[in-house]
Amino acid sequence: MNILDRIHAWSINTPNHLAYVRGESVLSYQDLEEKSNWLATYFSDSLPNDRAPIAIIGHKEPEMLITFLAAVKSGHPYIPIDTATPSQRIEAIIEKSKAALRLTPGNVQQLLVEQNLPAGHLSPQPKLPHEIKLEDAWYIIFTSGSTGEPKGVVITTACLESFVTWMLDEQHLSEQSEIFINQAPFSFDLSVMELYLSLSTGGTIFSLSRDEISEPKELFKTLASSSATVWVSTPSFAQMCLFEPTFSEKLLPRMRKFLFCGETLPPEVAASLLNRFPKAEVWNTYGPTEATCATTSLQITQNVIAKYNPLPVGYPKSDSDIRVMKADGSGCAESERGEIIIAGPNVSPGYLGQPELTAKAFFKLGELQAYRTGDTGHFEQGMLFFDGRQDNQIKLHGYRIELGDIESNLQALPTIRDAVVLPHLKNGLPDFLAAFIILNTGPVPGEFETTRGLKRELRKRLPDYMVPHKFYYPDKFPMTANGKIDRRKLAESMK
Amino acid sequence: MTTQEIIIDELEKVTGTDEVRKNLDLALFEEQILDSLGTVELIVSLGDMFHIDLTPGMVDRKMWATPRKIISDIESRIKAQAV
Repeated sequence: MNILDRIHAWSINTPNHLAYVRGESVLSYQDLEEKSNWLATYFSDSLPNDRAPIAIIGHKEPEMLITFLAAVKSGHPYIPIDTATPSQRIEAIIEKSKAALRLTPGNVQQLLVEQNLPAGHLSPQPKLPHEIKLEDAWYIIFTSGSTGEPKGVVITTACLESFVTWMLDEQHLSEQSEIFINQAPFSFDLSVMELYLSLSTGGTIFSLSRDEISEPKELFKTLASSSATVWVSTPSFAQMCLFEPTFSEKLLPRMRKFLFCGETLPPEVAASLLNRFPKAEVWNTYGPTEATCATTSLQITQNVIAKYNPLPVGYPKSDSDIRVMKADGSGCAESERGEIIIAGPNVSPGYLGQPELTAKAFFKLGELQAYRTGDTGHFEQGMLFFDGRQDNQIKLHGYRIELGDIESNLQALPTIRDAVVLPHLKNGLPDFLAAFIILNTGPVPGEFETTRGLKRELRKRLPDYMVPHKFYYPDKFPMTANGKIDRRKLAESMK
Repeated sequence: MTTQEIIIDELEKVTGTDEVRKNLDLALFEEQILDSLGTVELIVSLGDMFHIDLTPGMVDRKMWATPRKIISDIESRIKAQAV
């Protein structure tokens, strides 16, 4: 399984087939191959051969995809950064990653114009500084870190190939005919699923922009025009779409697969989808960014829904060893809860430039690279169940958030003495974030104005999805007997 | 309760702020007080409460930019349905 070879083959066999569609912008396989080859040559010629990453900051433009492949072809991993990321956080990522280049889609367009591409015939594969090895980093995705600084998860060629090979074996996708819905921004590793499944099978990625997603009226029109066959999203996004009664087989007659990852799939969402799309399969998958997108999977049928609530996250992929362990490192018995440990070729070598964090979370399980997920889970008849987190990390509508990350950023504001952030739960799942704030100035003058000001400040530091929706201003925080802030009491005060 | 009061109550529930009551011209989306999920929740609850045909595919951000605009949109839908 060589992903770049596959894409190259599609560019020869089906040059005009569309690899990528985003609104009016489209990219054929020939375009993608030709432009990424030219750009790769440019990178090789102008950058030292030191494997430093290349950062690309955009929102789903075709140039992002071109840059991903060009970076890899020229021996550099890429860092996808979405434009929703505030500039302070982008700076932190660039600095931490020691990126050789930071590009925007506009920069890439300019470079390609300057390269003066000869139209209509394929340029040769660029001469690579060295062959792409299995242990080479392919991409680096930054996720929320508990101390307020993002951390970069390194994913290698071997990790990605292990993931893609498994999914292709299991999902029986048709070559050259699938159209994949892309909901997640490329900085969110859920997008790895549709990007590489589609590109490996000669399919088309149909990308939804943030603006389209935020305007339901437009969204359903766009979806109707997509002819999509494979849906990849967070369960939250599908749940939102289900509120629209016309979201059914009639709107998407070719839809045959829903693939979910990123958060707990509520059984009622799975059940509604099976009712509205009787010809489609619904799949639940699970896995942290550190284990390349997903590591377990299960087809959710009416039988599974009738039998389990919450739904299982599925069976481990065949080349992985997933265990549930107690705090002392011993294995859990059937149905017994413990920490989920993932070992296998899909597990990241670690966090970029952070040996201490890496040593804490990663270890060797026999020959295999292993990751302590911090997730609680249990096995039942070979199926893994997810039972929540062991720490203050949450998933809000699929986004992975360390509450400590938001708290550190709030506490850094000069007006704030102390801050606690908690998820507000609805049916047991995070619904929105609430911040509890104690100001230096004492009583709050005008709550709305204060909240508005704090949100504005926080938006300069954190992506929108990490900015709490609701702000509370208690006189003081309740304390536990050990003198810690009583987060449970605070959570209860929201009810 | 009047139509307006019911709408404002629901809007307050979804947005978590009583500012929507104090300022009927508050820019709900620009101020990021109302998000996509909140909008969909509001569409479903208002549709149920007023027994009107209201789905996410029928509403856009311009039509619902402020509390006042939501009220006038819902009132006109109620009237249209009554005819």
